[in-house]
Amino acid sequence: MNLDELKKLKEKAQRQVALREGNKKYRVVFSMGTSGIAAGAREVMTTMLDEIEKRGLEDVEVRVTGEVGLEDVEPVIRIEEAGGEKTTYAHLDADGARKIVAEHLEKGKKVDKLAVGKEKKTD
Amino acid sequence: MIRSHILVCAGAGCISSGGHAMRDALRGELKKRGLDEEIKIVETGCIGPCDLGPVLLVHPDGTFYQRVTALDVPALVEEHFLKGRPYKKLLPAEPGTANLVTTARDFDFFAKQHKIVLENCGLIDPENIEEYIGRDGYAALGKVLTSMTPEQVIAEIKASGLRGRGGAGFPTGLKWELMTKVPTAPKYVICNADEGDPGAFMNRAVLEGDPHRVIEGMTIGAYAMGANRGFIYIRAEYPLAIKRLQIALEQAAKYGLLGKKLFGTTFDFDLEIRIGAGAFVCGEETALMRSVEGRRGQPQPRPPFPAQRGLWGNPTNINNVETWACIRLIILHGAKWFASIGSPKYPGTKVFALAGKIKNTGLAEVPLGTPLRDVIFDIGGGIPNGNLFKAVQTGGPSGGVIPAEHLDVSLEYESLQKLGSIMGSGGLVVMDEDACMVDVAQFFMEFCCDESCGKCAPCRVGTRQMLNILERITNGHAELADLKKLEELSIVVKDASLCGLGQTAPNPVLTTLRYFRKEYEEHIREHRCAAGACQNLFLSPCENSCPLHMNIPGFLQLLKEDRLDDAFELVILDNPLPASTGRVCQHPCENRCRRKTVDSAINMREVHRYIADTIFEKTTAEKILKRLSKRKMAATGKRIGIVGSGPAGLSAAFYLALLGHGVTVYESAEEPGGMLRYALPDYRLPTETLECELALIRGVGVKFVCNTALGRDITLEKLANDNDAVYLAIGTWEEQDLGVPGGELKGVYPALDFLNRVSHGEKIELGKKVAVIGGGNAAIDSARTALRLGADVTIVYRRSREDMPAIVQETEEALEEGAKLVVLAAPVQVLGESGRVTGLEVAKTILGKYDSRGRRTPITTNENYIIPCDTIIEAIGEKVKGAVAQKLGLPLNKSGTIKVDPWTLQTSNPKVYAGGDAVTGAANVTTAMGFGKKAAAIIDRQLVGVDRFRQLWPRLQYGNTVPQHTADGSRNVGKLVPNDVRRSSWGEVSHTLSAWEAKTEAMRCLRCDLKAHPVDENGAHSHQHSQQPAVKA
Repeated sequence: MNLDELKKLKEKAQRQVALREGNKKYRVVFSMGTSGIAAGAREVMTTMLDEIEKRGLEDVEVRVTGEVGLEDVEPVIRIEEAGGEKTTYAHLDADGARKIVAEHLEKGKKVDKLAVGKEKKTD
Repeated sequence: MIRSHILVCAGAGCISSGGHAMRDALRGELKKRGLDEEIKIVETGCIGPCDLGPVLLVHPDGTFYQRVTALDVPALVEEHFLKGRPYKKLLPAEPGTANLVTTARDFDFFAKQHKIVLENCGLIDPENIEEYIGRDGYAALGKVLTSMTPEQVIAEIKASGLRGRGGAGFPTGLKWELMTKVPTAPKYVICNADEGDPGAFMNRAVLEGDPHRVIEGMTIGAYAMGANRGFIYIRAEYPLAIKRLQIALEQAAKYGLLGKKLFGTTFDFDLEIRIGAGAFVCGEETALMRSVEGRRGQPQPRPPFPAQRGLWGNPTNINNVETWACIRLIILHGAKWFASIGSPKYPGTKVFALAGKIKNTGLAEVPLGTPLRDVIFDIGGGIPNGNLFKAVQTGGPSGGVIPAEHLDVSLEYESLQKLGSIMGSGGLVVMDEDACMVDVAQFFMEFCCDESCGKCAPCRVGTRQMLNILERITNGHAELADLKKLEELSIVVKDASLCGLGQTAPNPVLTTLRYFRKEYEEHIREHRCAAGACQNLFLSPCENSCPLHMNIPGFLQLLKEDRLDDAFELVILDNPLPASTGRVCQHPCENRCRRKTVDSAINMREVHRYIADTIFEKTTAEKILKRLSKRKMAATGKRIGIVGSGPAGLSAAFYLALLGHGVTVYESAEEPGGMLRYALPDYRLPTETLECELALIRGVGVKFVCNTALGRDITLEKLANDNDAVYLAIGTWEEQDLGVPGGELKGVYPALDFLNRVSHGEKIELGKKVAVIGGGNAAIDSARTALRLGADVTIVYRRSREDMPAIVQETEEALEEGAKLVVLAAPVQVLGESGRVTGLEVAKTILGKYDSRGRRTPITTNENYIIPCDTIIEAIGEKVKGAVAQKLGLPLNKSGTIKVDPWTLQTSNPKVYAGGDAVTGAANVTTAMGFGKKAAAIIDRQLVGVDRFRQLWPRLQYGNTVPQHTADGSRNVGKLVPNDVRRSSWGEVSHTLSAWEAKTEAMRCLRCDLKAHPVDENGAHSHQHSQQPAVKA
């Protein structure tokens, strides 16, 4: 092995462990309470995970959380940008999830049509 | 996409607590729920807190789950991974609170560490080289081989200040440089992974959790020193570490990171594992090398040092696992970065293995120079079960014991050496009050004696002889001269042994002698092991912890056999105030009761209260005295004067009278009893109960002269002239001053004065709102007394409720009766108007650092507030009456207590003895009585010339069978008088146990007194000791 090969291998391998180190640019948080699951949040999430993988996005982590108090507009997700904005999307379906990945997570453009609530800073 | 990683600890600790079964269940459950595509399980090395295992760390959330079993898995997966809610049942709690810690970084155990050696341990899969590479693995090797000369590497290591982590702390760079100066070839490098200290497991964790970093470090070292072959010497007891090392070596070779022409250079390096059979001596470098060569592991004299003539006569470098593990970081981040961590003289971090009596057992990595206290209390979480910290053993069998007063020592090579200990490999065995220091020394000596290779006589014979002496001490057969012999032998073994094993073997003995000499002397002089570890020196744990050494299993058994009279005889001979102490004793016996491990401790004090109460009710004093008088010895004609008729004076008087001496007790008050009569309120100890006991003490011949105060009506000089011996038990009858402004205002009472006046029936001008300052029994007594006088009562204490020294049950009852409790409040001043109290200003306190006993010290804040009140009772502690003590003309301690010889209890006047609170400072009833009992034995021996004390006890025969089943049934407790009745009455608050309750309580005893007794010369089991524990004076 030479230095270049090691470097390449490292770049590949780093992706495997990066998840454990934190510091991702985007954090997608799914509301996965009973009402979220009932409204189809699981399907929205699997679609989103597939889409993120398909597009090879590295700087995104996906978490789940409990009920967020927006039962009537589920499925709900929140996207937090490190040092940037917090965006809440509601009434999601698989198409919406794909769109959010393509626009928001890949290009950094908020999908206004699906977003709800006021603008908030990520803390 | 994988959205989450579950790091499952696959360290040996978690595996042994069921980690594999849990992992399999987790795998199955994720699949079942269709989560296996988005959540990945990664098996890692040791995550750290081994005692909490099996543990999980979930990323990216950073949630830490502890004690996860296969049964927990379905609920955990549903809650955390499906529904996104932390599964509370398995989360750790913040110390001392019910708050759960939801992320690992908030868990003190992780938060306060500085992980560099363990950076990957518990984070990556040790069986997957790519994960290591993903964490910059082998980048340091690449950098070294492609851009640095061997000299540059050595210069970098030297500049970093890294020292060998194996224990001695030799500068690593210098050690490497020495190798390069020897022209001989070939050269070898060795990793010493023969980790054998009891309580040390940090090397195992590195090898199991991050084996590649050791391989990388060794390869860099080999390049710098010009070696092409290396060995990892590891003991066979570490099969998992060996397995993971093997996998790592294979993978490194496969990826071209070990072997020929590394990184396209001409440098070749081969690394092999050598498995040792687990002899401790093989951790010594010369013995280790012989073992690598395939010969018997025996040390060689040095010089020649390994760098000159090592393996097969060639230059060899040996470093410890942790040292090798540091190398890659120094290369990657630079010497400057490394030198900035830790203390200036000793840069870097050290991994410590926390073991013993500590809440968070496991591995903790901290910068060198961190105070020991922070590691034990902040990371380790302190001592479990509310016990007190006693000492910590560092450095294994070669190290020493560091006592509580040196808890602030910084963890560095030199500072530990100054205390007589060593850093060693970093094992920290924490010991609480249950640890006997002689026993600890014996354990380590036995270890060294076993592990001595036998090559040199000082170690082979010396350690055996030292062990013999220690065994004599723990068996009660030693003499004081043995201690000197032990010290002399220590010096010989240290100076004359060939290798480190013998040279350091005496360290545990030397340090325990240095810091705990009194404990050794107690074993020798009094045949007493206060910690309750040396089984041959006591009857049972309860007996050993009882200040009066009551034969508790004995009276419980007699009660079980319905022999109430016999039980009473045993009880009264062990304890002259069985009914009173049955009500007010602090019952240290319960803390030691082994029944606690089944359900709860035996309620021993209430059983002897039942025995005494029943006899006093059913039998007349004459009848009891008739039996007791059989135990009384013939008159000796000796006269003894006792000053003070409190618990200490009464006990001494009772025994001395039984031993046939003429005893007169002088009491300044109008009736005998001292604190029992005048400080303990009637609702806790009725005067009639005390009178029953006083009748017996009078009955065995004790004379009381009341209204006679020392220094006023009689002088010590006259007493000493008129008597053969004088015993001073004058107690502590002066309240300590609060020391805040306003203490002189009207409405401020010292607690003792208040209680004394109430018991005399005096009318006290008590206001409506009373604040009681203090957290001891006197505070609670004052509070409950004030409640009964109709006041609204608030108890003010500066620490937390758990820290209150008062009997827990008393505090509970007081609160139930309506007292309020304000904790974490320190008095600032007493406020007043026209000379009367109007309130108490207090400052809020916060709990700061742990003190040497493991209690947190309150720190006053600026946040003051006022507790409105018109009366204040100060109960912050009592001291000996200064005016009386001064007049005695005897030397006093700094605290104002009377100075006595700790073994003979004699004051500076050999005829005058002293004891009880007057010597110890304010303690409690039974402690004072224990003093009185001990004094009686000593005075009698002194006057008569022979040891007759044990002859007071009859030879009672009773059943000696170990219960086959732990009798069912929960603890019996005397019924409480209903709150609304008792709070407005002076009547006793709790009822005596019923006959049935007392007997079932006795049935719960596990009979710890029954053990294999040594057979004496006549072939008979010696039961004498078990019948008469009595006083070991």
